[in-house]
Amino acid sequence: MGDQLVALGGALLAAGILARAGRRVGLPTIPFFMLAGIVFGPNTAGIALVDHPEDLELLAALGLIMLLFHLGLEFSIGDLAAGGRRLLGVGAIYLGLNVGGGLVLGLAMGWGTPEAFVIAGAVGISSSAIVTKLLTELRRLANPETRLILGIIVVEDVFLALYLAALQPILGEAETVGEAAAQFATAAAFLLALTAVARWGAGLVGRLVTSADDELLTISFVGLAVLVAGLAEELGVSDAIGAFMVGMILAESPVAARIDRLVLPLRDTFAAVFFFAFGLTIDPADIGAVVWPVTAAVLASIVLNLAAGIIAARMNGYRRGAAANIGLTILGRGEFSLILATLAVGAGLDPRIEPFVALYVLVLAILGPLLATRSKQVADRIPQHWLTRSVAS
Amino acid sequence: MNDRRLRLSPSEVAEQSLPGIGHRYELRGAEGEVVTVVIHHSGRRDVYLGTDADEDPQASVSLDDSQARTLGAILGGAYFKPAVVEEIEAVVGGLLIDWVTIRPDSPGAGRTISELEIRRRTGMTVAAILRDHDAMVAPEPDEALRPGDRLVVLGRPEDLATFVHHVVG
Repeated sequence: MGDQLVALGGALLAAGILARAGRRVGLPTIPFFMLAGIVFGPNTAGIALVDHPEDLELLAALGLIMLLFHLGLEFSIGDLAAGGRRLLGVGAIYLGLNVGGGLVLGLAMGWGTPEAFVIAGAVGISSSAIVTKLLTELRRLANPETRLILGIIVVEDVFLALYLAALQPILGEAETVGEAAAQFATAAAFLLALTAVARWGAGLVGRLVTSADDELLTISFVGLAVLVAGLAEELGVSDAIGAFMVGMILAESPVAARIDRLVLPLRDTFAAVFFFAFGLTIDPADIGAVVWPVTAAVLASIVLNLAAGIIAARMNGYRRGAAANIGLTILGRGEFSLILATLAVGAGLDPRIEPFVALYVLVLAILGPLLATRSKQVADRIPQHWLTRSVAS
Repeated sequence: MNDRRLRLSPSEVAEQSLPGIGHRYELRGAEGEVVTVVIHHSGRRDVYLGTDADEDPQASVSLDDSQARTLGAILGGAYFKPAVVEEIEAVVGGLLIDWVTIRPDSPGAGRTISELEIRRRTGMTVAAILRDHDAMVAPEPDEALRPGDRLVVLGRPEDLATFVHHVVG
């Protein structure tokens, strides 16, 4: 017991200390939590805080559940609709370029088709946490394009939920087509049932967890989120989707704002354990084999993000500066890429996915903010005539 | 004296939600200056200053909740109130809320609310009287106004001038 507590406490503290150093130079926290796991894990020389990554398995799963639960809680059809068709169009172009590019890259790497789909998501979907933090810290919240960037993030969050659901049958271990169909049917039925609850039974579920008392409210929503996540996992739908759906259902309840406030410290703590635990499984010796694929993926992401930024700016009549800001801010990759890699490992896919995603997130975590800070210099290199389409179409 | 004023009417404040962050309010000055206030879900407030011509804001400041309230109170005139009453009114959704002080030479000094026929003659309502650290909310019509009273009045913006002329002088 004592050694497990030492491992957990040491893990959080080490993650905190490394991330603090990163924050000082303006870098996001998520990659540093993961880096702490690599450095203080069993695969590197020096102090190994945790010898058996499975000791943290349950707490790391809780982190993943809290991340997705919070995402579901923040999910709002209203936000999506408020942006209108143009926002959906920009979001679709962004995802088409980046997830599509990721898929092409994944297939070209030749690790297998399910692997390519995981890589497509990991390379194509931005990190909500890193992007919002970056916008706040670079003092760009008053800029006109900021609303568009956050809108794209909302579209990406919705896409992630759908993608996780669609990915499950691909990741399944079904031997025959019949088995795969049965798995797919179970998953679809479960999701439909949860969607029906979200649509018609949200009030009832809300009453189940509602309490004027913060303590009772907290244990009720955590219990519900973990229970449904577990059931989802048992049914082969993945705990991530279960947790997301519970968040979405509770987002409709009158206590949504209070849950949002109460879940944050839980999410931050357990998500840090999740990122740390992800780092534990990375063996630096495996990194060498993925250096070239990661280089290709990073370069592709920078080019495709800038392309998406230029198209988005053109559609909205923004200038070059805004185009560079859009492209370089949404370059942040983090929690969602790591979640997808975790699912791939759980499904027994090619083990190279883990070091690939780890290195990719780490490189972009450092390169992304550096480029976003210098977006003016990048903007000056964008030919002016690429953006000269008039505002009115 | 410069009598230009910035009215807090909804038509002149642009509000937008920033998903995952909070809300953004934009106020435009007459010469293209833009003041943007971002209220984060966490309670943090950012104030940005810029112009329509800028790509990036020229200046910004971040405040925590209590600092923001203090700044808001200063701007609202809670600490120091300029002599000209019209400058500290607030108009929200077409309803004006204002504070006026009765002077010894005001037409309303020493007379009751019913004698002055405030509601009938001016269209305004006296919502409260602040007198020596006490607040009389919804004062009786037979309450006499005294020099030094601060009245909280509600009404339509266009009726304020009549009220000031009739009661405050």
